[in-house]
Amino acid sequence: MSALRDWGGMVAAIAVAVALVAASGTVDRAGRAQRGAPSRDELLYYPSGVWVRQAALGYETAAADLAWLRGIQYYGEHRLSDQRYDMIGHVMNIVTDLDPRFTQPYVFGAFVLSQELNQPQRGLELLQKGMRANPESWRLAFETGFLHYVGTHDHAAAARYFARASGLPGHPDYAERFAAFAAQRAGDRAMAVLLWKRVEATGNKYMQEVARRELRNLGEGEES
Amino acid sequence: MSTNQDTAHRPGLTPPGARGIHAVPTIPILSLEGLRKTYRDPMTLRPFTAVDGVTLELERGEIFGLLGPNGAGKTTTIKLLLGLARPTAGRVLLDGREPHDPASRSRLGYLPENPCFYDHLTPLEYLDLTGALFGIPSVIRRRRAVDLLERLGLSGHARKALRKFSKGMTQRVGLAQALMNEPRLLVLDEPMSGLDPVGRSEVKALLREQRAAGATILMSSHVLAETEPICNRVGIMKLGRLVEVGAVSALLQSGVREWEVAVERLSDTIVTLLLAAGHDVERVGSRSVIRVRDGEALQGVLGQLVQGGVHVHSVEPRRETLEEHFVRVLDGRAGAGGGRS
Amino acid sequence: MRGVVAIAQNTVREVIRQRVVLVLALFGVGLVAASQVLSPLALGEGRKVVTDFGLAGSSLLATLLVVVLGSSLLHKELERRTIYAVMAKPIRRGEFLLGKFCGLWITAAALVAGMFAIVLGVVTVAYGETPWIVAGAMTLTVLELGVITAIVVFYSSFTTPALTAFFTAATVVAGNFADDLLYFGTQGASLWLARVTEGVYWILPHLTVFNARGSVVHGIAVAPERLAFAAAYGLLYLLALLIVAGAIFERREFR
Repeated sequence: MSALRDWGGMVAAIAVAVALVAASGTVDRAGRAQRGAPSRDELLYYPSGVWVRQAALGYETAAADLAWLRGIQYYGEHRLSDQRYDMIGHVMNIVTDLDPRFTQPYVFGAFVLSQELNQPQRGLELLQKGMRANPESWRLAFETGFLHYVGTHDHAAAARYFARASGLPGHPDYAERFAAFAAQRAGDRAMAVLLWKRVEATGNKYMQEVARRELRNLGEGEES
Repeated sequence: MSTNQDTAHRPGLTPPGARGIHAVPTIPILSLEGLRKTYRDPMTLRPFTAVDGVTLELERGEIFGLLGPNGAGKTTTIKLLLGLARPTAGRVLLDGREPHDPASRSRLGYLPENPCFYDHLTPLEYLDLTGALFGIPSVIRRRRAVDLLERLGLSGHARKALRKFSKGMTQRVGLAQALMNEPRLLVLDEPMSGLDPVGRSEVKALLREQRAAGATILMSSHVLAETEPICNRVGIMKLGRLVEVGAVSALLQSGVREWEVAVERLSDTIVTLLLAAGHDVERVGSRSVIRVRDGEALQGVLGQLVQGGVHVHSVEPRRETLEEHFVRVLDGRAGAGGGRS
Repeated sequence: MRGVVAIAQNTVREVIRQRVVLVLALFGVGLVAASQVLSPLALGEGRKVVTDFGLAGSSLLATLLVVVLGSSLLHKELERRTIYAVMAKPIRRGEFLLGKFCGLWITAAALVAGMFAIVLGVVTVAYGETPWIVAGAMTLTVLELGVITAIVVFYSSFTTPALTAFFTAATVVAGNFADDLLYFGTQGASLWLARVTEGVYWILPHLTVFNARGSVVHGIAVAPERLAFAAAYGLLYLLALLIVAGAIFERREFR
C-alpha cells in the first residue's frame, strides 16, 4: 500500500510539474509580443549569420564588440603597412550579424569598402543590410545618401536617401540641406524646391536665408 | 510545578526530570514492528536483507544498548527509525508518529556514527543552525549553545572552524548538537568513538544526567565494556535480526563463570597440581591468581591450598561480562554464512 | 519555512566562505578594467564596449558560479554525510532542497548586483553618464540565474556532480537554441517533426526570454511588461523543476 502511495506521489509531482511547464509556456507565448526584436530577421543572413549568433550563446553584443575591436585593429595595422583591407567587409559583416543594431560598423565598413577598396557597391550593400535591421535609423539612411554622393556619384539616389533621413526621428537639421543640395545637383528641380521649402520652415535664420536664395535660383521667387 | 505539556515547547524551562513525563504514558517513545530492510545489489540485483524483522519497544527513561558486530544492521535500523531510509516492511513510530512526519523529530536528538558537520562553520554557528532548525528562539539557542559547549569542554574552541577539529572534538560537537533541543529521545550511534578514557567517562556521566532528566536513550556501540555499566537493557543484533533483548542484570544472571582465588607465594608443586586439574594459574609478582571453573572444585582447591600452607588473600566470584555473553550468543546462534562482512 | 531559511542562510555562508567566490569577483573587476583599456581602441564605441563586457561578464560569471558550486551541492552532503545530522531535525527533504536552492540563487543575485554597481560606477566615471537602463537587463539576468539554479538543483538530485555540470551546461546551451529549434521544426516538410520539436521546445528553458543585453546597450529599455512576463515564466518553470527535484530527493535513500 505504501509502495502505491509512493508511486502515486511521484506521478502527482510529475503531473504538477507538467502543468507548470505548460503554464510557463503559455505565459511565454503571451509575452512574445513584448519581446519584439530580434525575432526572425537575423535569419535573413542565413547561413553565416545564424551560426555566428548561435555560437555566441546569448552574449552576441559582447562578441560583436570583440569582433569590432579586432576589425579596428586589422584596419589600423594595414593602414600603417600595405593599405590593403580585403577582409574588412567580412569582419564588419560578422560584427553586424552578431549585433544588427550596432550602426557604426555598417558605416565604417561601407566607407572603407568604397573609398579604400574602391568597391562602393559592396559598401552600399552593407548599408542596405543596416537599414533593413534598423529602419528607424536616420544615420544609416544619411550615410547611404552620402556614399551615393561621393562614391557612386548618383546624386538622385543621394537626394532620395538624404530625404529619407530627414524624415526619420532624431535627424539633424543638415539632413534636409544635404537632401536639397543633392536634388539640385541631380537636376530634380521639383524635389529641390520641396526640400528647400522645408528648410525655410525650420526657423534657423541663417538657413532660411540660404533656402530663400536657393529657391530664387530655382525660380521660385519670393513666394512663401 | 508546571506539567510537561506546558513546557513541552518552551525549551530552557523544562523542570528537571519532567522531560520524560507524559500525559499519555501508553504511547511508547519508540516502537519498531517487524522492521525489514532489503537492498538490491546494483550490479547483480541480488537482494540483501540488512534488517530482518526487528521488533522493539523502548521504555521511557531507559538507556537501551543496541549491540552487534559490524554489518549486523544496527546503523541501518537507526537510519530506518530516523527516516533516512525507508523500510521494505514493518513500521516505525516515534512518539506515535511516523518518521516521514518532521514533527516526529522535534524532540529527538541524534548523533551519527563518525559524525561530519559543515566544516566551514564554527561550533557556535553549527549549534545555532541546529537550534534554528528546531525553531528555538535565537536568544535561547545562543545561550544554550554556549552552555553545551562549556559542558562538553569546548568553550575554548567555540569560534574555531570545525575543519580544524580532531575526531574527539568533533564527537563532542556531535553530542552538543544532539542535546540542543533537550531531547526526549536520544539516538546515539557509537557515542564513545574517538574519545579517550576521560572523555568516555564524561559521556557516561552525561548520559546518566540525561536519563535522570527523563530522556530515553538508544545507543549502538561496539565498546561493550562501556555499555554494560550504563544500559538498563541491551539488544544483540546479528545478521539483521535482534537475537536477544533483556536487562543486563537478567542476561548476566546465568551464574558465576568462575572463581578467582588470590594467593601469596605458590610453590611450583601446587601450581603443577592445579594445572593438571584443569584450573588456570596466573603469576603476578609474588602473588598468584587461580581461576577455578566451578563451585564444587573450589572447595577442593581451597582445601589443597590450606593444607599446603598457602596464604589466601581473597576468593571472588567472577560473573560473565557482557562481552563474553555477547560472544557466546553470537557463536551459539551461528547460522548459515553470507551477508555483508 | 524556518528550515528553508536556516538552510538558505547556511548555503549562502558556505558559498561566501569558499574562496572561489572571491576569485570570481576579482575576475569580474578585472574584466571591466580590461575593457577600459580596450575602449580607446574601439573608435568611439568605448561606452558600448564597457557596458557590453560588464553585462556579459556578470551573466557568465554568475552562471559559472551556479554551475560549479551547485553541481556538488547535494552530492557533497551525501558523500560526507553532513546531511544525516540535518535530516534528523524536524525538516522535510523538500524544505532542505528549497533552502539550498534559495541560498545559491541569492548568492548569485548578490554577485550580479555587485557587478551591476561596478558597471554603473565605471561607466559613470569614464563617460560621465550613468547607464541606469542596464538595470532591466541585470534584473532579467537574475531571473535567468534562478532558472539555471533550479536546473542545477534538479540534476543534482539524482546524478553525480560531473554529470550535473555537464547536463546543466547542455540544457543552458539548448535553452539558447530553443527559439531556433522551433523555427527550424516548422520549416521542415514533416508535420511529425514539427510536433516533436514543438514538444522539445516546451520542455526546454526559453533562456532568450531573459536576454535583453543587446537591447539595453542600444538604449532600448526593458519594458515592465516584459519583466513581468519573464518573471512569471521563470518562476513557473523553476517551480516545476524544484517540484520534480523534491519528489526525486524525497525518495532517495541515504546509504
